[in-house]
Amino acid sequence: MTDRYDAIIIGTGAGGAPVLARLAAAGLRVVALEAGRLWNPTEDFATDELEQDKLFWIDERISAGTDALAFGANNSGIGVGGSTLHYTAYTPRPHPADLAIKTEFGVGMDWPFGFDALEPYLTEAEQFMGVSGPNPYPWGPPRKTGYPLPPLPLNAAAQLMQRGAEAVGIRTSPAANAALSGSYYREGVGWRAACTNRGFCQAGCNTGAKASMDVTYIPFAQAHGAEVRPECFVTEITRDSTGRATGVVYTHRGTETRLEADTVFLCAGSVETPRLMLMNGIGGEHVGRHLMAHPGLQIWGRFDEPTRPFKGIPGGLISEDTHRPDDADFAGGYLLQSIGVMPVTYARQVARGRGLWGEDLREHMRGYGYVAGINILGDCLPHEDNRITLSDETDARGLPKPHVVFDVGENEQRMTAHADRVMRQIWDAAGARDVWSFDRHAHVIGTARMGATADDSVVDRDGRVWDTPGLIVSDNSTFPSSLPVNPALTIVANALRTADAFLGRG
Amino acid sequence: MSDSPTPGGAPSPEWPAGWALPLIASPETTAPTRRSLQERLDATHDAPRFFDADAYETFAAACARLVPSTGLDRPVDVAPSIDARLAKGTGDGWRYAALPPDGEAFRRGVAAIDAAAEGAHAERFCDLAPADQDAILTDAQHARGAFADLDGFDARLWFADWLSEAAGLFFGHPLAQQDIGYAGFADAPGWTRITLGAREEREPLPETP
Repeated sequence: MTDRYDAIIIGTGAGGAPVLARLAAAGLRVVALEAGRLWNPTEDFATDELEQDKLFWIDERISAGTDALAFGANNSGIGVGGSTLHYTAYTPRPHPADLAIKTEFGVGMDWPFGFDALEPYLTEAEQFMGVSGPNPYPWGPPRKTGYPLPPLPLNAAAQLMQRGAEAVGIRTSPAANAALSGSYYREGVGWRAACTNRGFCQAGCNTGAKASMDVTYIPFAQAHGAEVRPECFVTEITRDSTGRATGVVYTHRGTETRLEADTVFLCAGSVETPRLMLMNGIGGEHVGRHLMAHPGLQIWGRFDEPTRPFKGIPGGLISEDTHRPDDADFAGGYLLQSIGVMPVTYARQVARGRGLWGEDLREHMRGYGYVAGINILGDCLPHEDNRITLSDETDARGLPKPHVVFDVGENEQRMTAHADRVMRQIWDAAGARDVWSFDRHAHVIGTARMGATADDSVVDRDGRVWDTPGLIVSDNSTFPSSLPVNPALTIVANALRTADAFLGRG
Repeated sequence: MSDSPTPGGAPSPEWPAGWALPLIASPETTAPTRRSLQERLDATHDAPRFFDADAYETFAAACARLVPSTGLDRPVDVAPSIDARLAKGTGDGWRYAALPPDGEAFRRGVAAIDAAAEGAHAERFCDLAPADQDAILTDAQHARGAFADLDGFDARLWFADWLSEAAGLFFGHPLAQQDIGYAGFADAPGWTRITLGAREEREPLPETP
């Protein structure tokens, strides 16, 4: 039968694209289904944030709880490449201890495997995507293999953070970013050109310097025979009478199609993955639960010299001195990051965060070119009541909207208060005036978590859904703990590990 | 008019006029960027499709207070874009569970603004002096006064969503970007001078640093 595949991959982001590539390279007949469009960045991506809103998932999510999460421009993505189309490309590694937070602090949940199982895949992903970063890297265990390219140049925000952090005794380093500081060649991908400091990573890279999936794992997969079908929205995971997954039903421009495969990989991200499982009654009682979102407090300030904060890689500088702060009154830790910002994003934030409007907003924005920011990215503990369920409301596709509840816990509040103090010290020392904070939560994680048994998890250590043979999840919904790092690199590494386990190479 | 004790923060520089449109037209801006910015510059506004005529007058007057076009070469109106979006029934990917769907939220918010103007001044909002309009909008922002008890409708959340959308639309317009000295759209060559204080030839110099 022609329409039968070895594997169907739902989603082409950081969780799906590496699986597609790995399976195609192993000679399997694979197809990826992507809800969004296929873009040609050179022709389709403008340096214009409003135009680039097309990279965000805009099917409505209903957000509840004391700390209702923002979606759309935050925490979502659509198109071939998924949210890597607009990720910042910040690719710090987790520390070994991050995967064992329960062992260390007695809270949260350990990963069902150790750092050693992940490490070779982190290295492989860094080498394949072309991560630019310092060698040696100042934090974490020594590495056998360094970053393949030197760090990207520091922009004004990075310099200011360097200045402020040095004054208060915090070590910094140029950060690791999956954007090229020099031209780079990989078999199956070809040459990619070096970053031009356009600074628009979060609105779509138009040169291919940033390692989004559409310029890395997807062309590699296609070179090995994989098929990618854009604008295909999966509504059903079909099963046989024994409950085994047999394929999918998807809608393409109003037409429904059924595809069969031996295995289905669900890689739709931490909202759409549990939503599809819930719509199909798959996964058991833990599906949608233990949703986590990184504390991502930002501190902004105005400087005397122009910063022109749209230039260069946004996250140029890092400190991980706060990974386990001596004076912490919380479990886990966080990293510190300098941040650039584009004008529309900044205007939306200053309006929402400070409530500025009218002539006050106009006046504040005339100082946009003198603004710089720093932020944190920290652990979030899992709580079973932070969860995704299906709403009674339906969307334009006639499907139930996801309903998301998120209340931050005491641990996140304490961490954020600590970070607020530290970052204000840094910004004061750097010479910032008119300092203000914007509280936010970045990345949605952990709604189909993996574990050792079905008693407290949805999938096993290799992403296999406990109650549905033939269905494997690969994305950050499987993370048992949030890890205090931007998730993309770990999602890619774990996707490669998941694919190898499936291929019997684990 | 704003939450902050020092509303605008530090005083900001003034930026020159007249530099942005020639830069957009020049080879220093890529074709895709020029195309989308030019579309925004050339946009003509149809009659409102979501709001009825009276409600739209209120809404447009209120938007013009949130993001006033003072000093720009010509007004940058955000109300038509929001009206068109609401007519299409699309959103930005999420909403607060505490709010009704966007269309209903905007209808209720605008009706509350009208009612506040009627209650305090026995006039339509669009006919009020700017200071009186601002006082009403400040009440809406903080869900107080006429906006304190709207039968479960949280004016504070609606206002924050509306303001954020209006601010994004306004500062996405090339004329507003010119006013804040932003030249990031000139994207053809990339940037080589990215450090503190560094400026490239195609970027404007502030007039009062």
